[in-house]
Amino acid sequence: MPDQPSALDGVRVLDLTGEMGAYCTKLLADLGADVIKIEPPGGDPARNIGPFVGDEPGPDRALNFLNQNTSKRSVTLDLQDDADREKLRKLVPTADIVVEDFPRGYLDGLGLGYDVLTKLREDIILTSITGFGGTGPHKDYLAPDIVGVAMAGIMWLAGDPEDPPNLPFGNQGYFSASVQAAAGTTMALYHRDRTGEGQQVEVSMQEALLIAQETAMQAYDMTKGVRSRAGARGSLPFSIPGIGPFEASDGWIWGYVGTPGGAPWSELLKWMVDEGKAEDLEEEPYKSVANQLDLRFLTGLALDAEKRKEHLPTLKHIGEVFTRFCAGKPKWDLYEQGQGRRLLIGIVSTPEDLAKNPQLAARGYYQSIESSAGTIRYPGAPYQLSGTPWKATRPPQAGEHTAEVLE
Amino acid sequence: MAVKQALEGIKVADFSWFAAGPICAEAMGTHGATVVRVESESHMDGLRGVAPFPTGKTGYNVSGWYNNYNANKLNVTLNLNTDKGKELALRLVEWADVFITNITPRVIERWGLNYDDLKQEREDIIAVYQPMQGADGPHRDFLGFGAVLGPITGINHLTGFPSRAPSGLGTNYPDYVINPMHTLTAIMAALHHRNKTGRGQRIELSQLESVVASLAPAVMDYMANGRVATRSGNRLPHAAPHGAFPCQTIKIATPFGEADEARWCVIACFSDEQWSSLKSAIGNPDWADDRFETLAGRREHEDELEEKLGEWTIGQFPEDVMTTLQAAGVPSAVVQNARDLLDSDEHIRERDYYVYLDHPEAGRTAYDGPGFRLSKTPAEYRTAGCMLGEHNEQVCKEILGLSDEEIADLMVEQVLY
Repeated sequence: MPDQPSALDGVRVLDLTGEMGAYCTKLLADLGADVIKIEPPGGDPARNIGPFVGDEPGPDRALNFLNQNTSKRSVTLDLQDDADREKLRKLVPTADIVVEDFPRGYLDGLGLGYDVLTKLREDIILTSITGFGGTGPHKDYLAPDIVGVAMAGIMWLAGDPEDPPNLPFGNQGYFSASVQAAAGTTMALYHRDRTGEGQQVEVSMQEALLIAQETAMQAYDMTKGVRSRAGARGSLPFSIPGIGPFEASDGWIWGYVGTPGGAPWSELLKWMVDEGKAEDLEEEPYKSVANQLDLRFLTGLALDAEKRKEHLPTLKHIGEVFTRFCAGKPKWDLYEQGQGRRLLIGIVSTPEDLAKNPQLAARGYYQSIESSAGTIRYPGAPYQLSGTPWKATRPPQAGEHTAEVLE
Repeated sequence: MAVKQALEGIKVADFSWFAAGPICAEAMGTHGATVVRVESESHMDGLRGVAPFPTGKTGYNVSGWYNNYNANKLNVTLNLNTDKGKELALRLVEWADVFITNITPRVIERWGLNYDDLKQEREDIIAVYQPMQGADGPHRDFLGFGAVLGPITGINHLTGFPSRAPSGLGTNYPDYVINPMHTLTAIMAALHHRNKTGRGQRIELSQLESVVASLAPAVMDYMANGRVATRSGNRLPHAAPHGAFPCQTIKIATPFGEADEARWCVIACFSDEQWSSLKSAIGNPDWADDRFETLAGRREHEDELEEKLGEWTIGQFPEDVMTTLQAAGVPSAVVQNARDLLDSDEHIRERDYYVYLDHPEAGRTAYDGPGFRLSKTPAEYRTAGCMLGEHNEQVCKEILGLSDEEIADLMVEQVLY
């Protein structure tokens, strides 16, 4: 089969990002753009943040760095140095897009702000990713991931009420800012395709995440009620059998049994009966409650204190039997057999479960890439484009392409 | 060509529902695309029935959850379980540049909306599918939506405190940014490619795969080192302190009367300089001795560090902690809630992030603004969340070219339904 084209073939990106914006330019690079990563002497500091391949630190061994810099080339330039800045200026006319995540105003201070860039290349697209954007009273605030996530209302919603608010794993603020920036940058590129006009793309990490508050903003706007973190129970008024996290014999699963879209609770009861684990749930009052346990029934309970008082002990017992059923089975069996019965059950995947997930394996999701650190397995494409396939190649060593690019 | 918005002239047939699809299509609409949202009485978007609703209002056109993702769209009701409905759907595809759906592959097949079907109507269509786990593979037909998908992606296992059950983020987190905005990136790249070559294509975003990409370090740590990372609260290996700290409780008004609200701030030190600045800012207390001078020392004594720092923050308001520490060069913030964001965050207000739109049934309510800002072709919010069938006549006449008589027949036959 002949080599298929990539969607962003022929598009050149000057990549001035660090940890916050590197995933944006990775997305562009894996879509085929020629992304030239400009690294300071000594390399991007993100090369020093673990975990490392084999737990051995080294500039080409940091797993997060490797993942965020696939398919890029690397040029080392000291932006504090006049001669190096001049080299960067000479690259600008060859570029379509510049992406940066410096503190606001830093590029201007170097004589590389948007006004200067447009003089070097009139239709340049400049994408700036910062904690709070280029205007407003917080524009100069220090904004590591946790600051953006806290200010966007995301931590307020996450965690158990008895714990401090939770920070989502994995720099989700940086990540969301990068994904929004990739969408905005490609949109600006399309506008330039059609009109010849370049522009600035501005991403605030806080704004990038605000929509992920789900309904909290609208709930306050409409009813003045503040939605807060509620741990495993979520938005449910009381705990309900089959909904939430349950401990399996070797980990956890998450159920949403009885909600629309999946098989009803009666199917779950049948499963427990088939395995001889239903205990007394086939007797009354349990059986008739289990067989009508759906959202309508539960809404009825939430609205009617009398009915709730009558049924809560029954629900509690059903929940205990289901909890024992889960405790006796491995998580993968609960997940795959439950789904086989059309029950809304998900596995709470650990990284090991993700690495071994048969669905991801069957689709060839993980990619192996050779580098000086050996053969490394990477998560694959976030999306598949049939005519212009996603491709990831080895991340660069610091300054690996300095000579060939600046020549 | 005079183009005021980036996607002016682009036509989107939005056959999606819930969040991951509609949010992506809305972002296209706010940047100038004409978006036609297809629903029906028999296959209504589930969010229409879910709170929040404006106080005292009911019905399936007033959900704040639904409306927030469906501004700037035309809404047409097509019953896709009828042959005529399917035929009209394909006519809409013929009109469109982009088709998008996150409905399960089984149903899409039944409706005759696979890529091969669409390509016959419109050779250069960009057809976007967002199945839960992909259009093939052994788990293709596994059920799920945000609440079940989140755990499967691994984010629940990795987020929170180790002493608790893996409870996730309290929301269907992947639905709102990662999945819709990955999708939008792919669509824009495909439009760029079509502009250059005249060729459309099929895009598939497996929601599971899109989210696992965001958890790469943990998965790679297992694949490279055999380590199974687990929940570690709010701490990071390369920063200390790094977490949320309790502040002074305040009294707030709620729909049920006055109540206490526990307040929180975050504080993070990524360097010894930041620690030294933090120490001065809180008055160089005696407990902050030599043991805490280095990152390694602060990590070793992190329980004590958090406890002592908490004894200082508990007497403060989080807004003051943030202002004081940021001025001293220490990363800090308020753990904001929706009330803070709508009522008190001056930064958000000055940047006009939230948009207020008038809706015929829901009234004037707040909508999320754009997740990115284009300086010359900014987002515009023209119309509020679309009502079920609100634009049946307009879409049928102007886009599908139907006569009044045909439209009347289609209503009687429950095709426009």
